[in-house]
Amino acid sequence: MGKFIVIGERIHCISPSIRQAMETMTPDPILKRAKEQLDAGATYLDVNIGPAEKNGPELMQWAVKLLQENFDNVPLCLDTANQKAIEAGIQVYNREKGKPIVNSADAGDRISNIDLAAANDAICIALCSKAGVPSDNDERMMYCQELLERGMGLGMEAEDLWFDPLFVVIKGMQDKQRDVLEFIKQLADMGFNSTGGLSNVSNMTPKHIRPILDATMVAMAINNGLTSAIANPCDVRLMETIKSADIIMNHSLYADSFLEL
Amino acid sequence: MGFKRVPQKYSASINEVTIGVGEKAIKLGGENVKPLYSFDAEIANAPKVGAEITDEGYDRTVASLAAYYEGCETIADIAKKAAAMPGADFLAVNLEGADPNGANKSVEECAAVVSEVAGAVDVPLVIIGCKNADKNTELFNKLADLLQGKNVLFVSCKEENYKNVAASAGLAYNQKICAESAVDINLAKQLNVLISQMGLKPDTYVMNVGSAAAGYGFEYVVSTMDRVKDAALAQNDAMLQMPIFTPVSSETWSVKETIVTEEDIPEWGSRDDRAVQMEVSTAAACLAAGSNAVVLRHPESVATISKMIAALV
Repeated sequence: MGKFIVIGERIHCISPSIRQAMETMTPDPILKRAKEQLDAGATYLDVNIGPAEKNGPELMQWAVKLLQENFDNVPLCLDTANQKAIEAGIQVYNREKGKPIVNSADAGDRISNIDLAAANDAICIALCSKAGVPSDNDERMMYCQELLERGMGLGMEAEDLWFDPLFVVIKGMQDKQRDVLEFIKQLADMGFNSTGGLSNVSNMTPKHIRPILDATMVAMAINNGLTSAIANPCDVRLMETIKSADIIMNHSLYADSFLEL
Repeated sequence: MGFKRVPQKYSASINEVTIGVGEKAIKLGGENVKPLYSFDAEIANAPKVGAEITDEGYDRTVASLAAYYEGCETIADIAKKAAAMPGADFLAVNLEGADPNGANKSVEECAAVVSEVAGAVDVPLVIIGCKNADKNTELFNKLADLLQGKNVLFVSCKEENYKNVAASAGLAYNQKICAESAVDINLAKQLNVLISQMGLKPDTYVMNVGSAAAGYGFEYVVSTMDRVKDAALAQNDAMLQMPIFTPVSSETWSVKETIVTEEDIPEWGSRDDRAVQMEVSTAAACLAAGSNAVVLRHPESVATISKMIAALV
């Protein structure tokens, strides 16, 4: 098993400064966010350009080139509802440091994103859901199988499907947290890669509480076999926890300075 | 069902480190497969073999060495003769006489020896320090300056002196350095991290993860090297992707099998034969476990090990 993969989530058009930078194609705010996340230990960077209905392909190509040219072909996770934009992004993507990730497909309206990933030799995040949050793990597993069959039918390697169990918010769905952990175990037992939006867990909790909830959840999830998360690498507590978990799981060899790596 | 052979090559690889300059320069590392697994993928650079001399030249009590170096009068003659051993890729000068607990030769005396050697040969040079870390710091500082432009490897720096050696030989004089730990995987990695944090590029240093003569706790050496190569290749651990450099002779020429004379224990047979056997068996085992370069003293060992490498890679 390799080290846990953090997909940095902070290039997101919900952030006002990033949204403005994307509207005007101004590099600086985006480069700044990228550098912060890479310095903090992110492996992949998520590039969320929103729905981008007007200029999606152009915007995604600009963002991919901007980030890869400035950060040694950093691997990217292309995140938008606009399929044409994802395809356009992959066209200019350099694979030297890793395949592009398509974010994301589900078993409902967005299932064709699997086709897109298969056609472009990309990794695909596969949400084990159809419309909304699945009610239990049987439902999650049903969607997982649907997505797997679709991908395999199109010639994808199973390892290129990163299944997302759907992390759910503690405030409101506290009783479902153990289901998520159990499902991650099921995915790991089948040998699948997994990822997910970790910070959903602590959504709507006070700012100073979020790091400890996210960190604890990720440690428990890594123990159950989670291989990646879309998360905020600038959260020091979270990153220290992930690095320590990698040591305890023997995914990375211990050295006294391991937190600095 | 038929057997399907899946080549076990990795996307990660060992760093490539160049020693020496010009046509005879050598490259250590670069491979993306387990040690000697040339059937999984082409090995970028075959492991290299070094011929070793000391500040005294060679051990005159070993008859076959004396025979090999017969007629050599100066250290320059000895260096040339050693560099010409069939199968030798580089020349290592072991300055064991600098040890304050031994002959305690001064830095100037050692510099005179090294400069005579460097003037006599055009093969890549490796300087092996004595057992005293403080003395080596002084020694390497002087020699790295003296040998500027020759791209020499300095063996070794340890936890106690890596800062000085890396700053001087590594950064100021652009030579190559070797990070030494004593059969301790965590320290091996830590030392590489510390050296990288000083600003040395990955292609400017190698590591000696420790060794032992065969039969002297060698299983720890094997498991250390195994774990190191596994981290480097399977886990893509950049802090363990340095080539492994193993001064085999320093280990094997100090154990009883090599030291005891035939007069003392007649039933053990020829001392010269035993010395070669210890070098050959230790070096072969190190190479199988992961060494990218070994250092040997006896011409027969150099010839045997280089033939083994050529047959396998």
